[in-house]
Amino acid sequence: MIRFLLPLALAVLAPGHASASPLEVQVTDASGAPLANAVITLPAPDGFDPERHRFQWPMMMEQQRLQFVPHVLVVPRGAQVEFPNRDRVRHHVYSFSGSNAFELELYGREEARLVGFGHPGAVVLGCNIHDAMIGYIRVVETPYAAMTGADGVAAIADAPEGPLTVTVWHPYATSADGTATLALAEGDSAGRTAQISLNIRAPR
Amino acid sequence: MITLLAIAASLALTPAAMPTPPGELPVDPYEVSNSNAGAEPLSDPAVFEAFGGIEGIDRIVDDMVERITVDPRLADIFRASDFVRLRRTLKEQFCYLLGGPCDYTGMPMRSSHADHGITTAEFNALVENLQLAMDAEGVPFRMQNRLLALLAPMQRDIVTR
Repeated sequence: MIRFLLPLALAVLAPGHASASPLEVQVTDASGAPLANAVITLPAPDGFDPERHRFQWPMMMEQQRLQFVPHVLVVPRGAQVEFPNRDRVRHHVYSFSGSNAFELELYGREEARLVGFGHPGAVVLGCNIHDAMIGYIRVVETPYAAMTGADGVAAIADAPEGPLTVTVWHPYATSADGTATLALAEGDSAGRTAQISLNIRAPR
Repeated sequence: MITLLAIAASLALTPAAMPTPPGELPVDPYEVSNSNAGAEPLSDPAVFEAFGGIEGIDRIVDDMVERITVDPRLADIFRASDFVRLRRTLKEQFCYLLGGPCDYTGMPMRSSHADHGITTAEFNALVENLQLAMDAEGVPFRMQNRLLALLAPMQRDIVTR
């Protein structure tokens, strides 16, 4: 009984959730094909502190079978991200992405290293040893963030009511900052899936 | 007839699924062949003798592996290695190359080193440790060089950056 009541009580007590509703966005490329690994975000509420925010997914970028897993990871600004190497070979992970640039030499099966991401934006990850390894970290300053699955759909369960600007980012988007935006008037997305399309280049 | 030939060819190309020896980790299947050792074996029995035969080679490999696990230039590369398999296949390879009564059952040099991102400096560091191990076993320089001459060209397949 307590297990049922507790989440309910928390939902009622949590500020800003009183006027929330689910938002679903489908992201496609210019030809209409669903786009996976697109990150949708909504503006943060006033006074939001990303440094104290925790998303429900692990802050972890694994290296497994010479791949970054997940391919795209969304983290709040200030997050400490784990970089466990599940492979038996070493990796030399690096990023040249502006203020979030870093370099990390990881021996086989090393699992105890953290990297902090103190600046918002997209972080492109590579490996000096394995050229085919490419991954992305999207550093955000909002609690409202979700990633599209294979069907191109991303959902934010507790989107605020009212007019909204949805920002979509994708690693292969051709726009300068990799994003496109969609303005939704109040009630626009109620009970349906908002659509947005992005121009993308062929993945490397 | 053509069909039969094709079947025979495909059978010959199917990698033998070697059972995993006790204490070792499974590896992806590959075709077992002495040609995987990366060089033709020496035929001069004096060299095998100078290395102390199978027992001497076993000691040299064990000593070399001990050294690389504490060599700061190499330890991280080998940290997640299967040392049981590493020791066994190195002993087989050296014994085979030195003309001893051994078969090499390990992988070809290129595939066993692929994805490790080995540099020339790291390759040379491993050779240094081998030289120290051969010194410790009392192998004369002239005989050491017979083995090193076989190993040196393997750098082409081992060093990838």
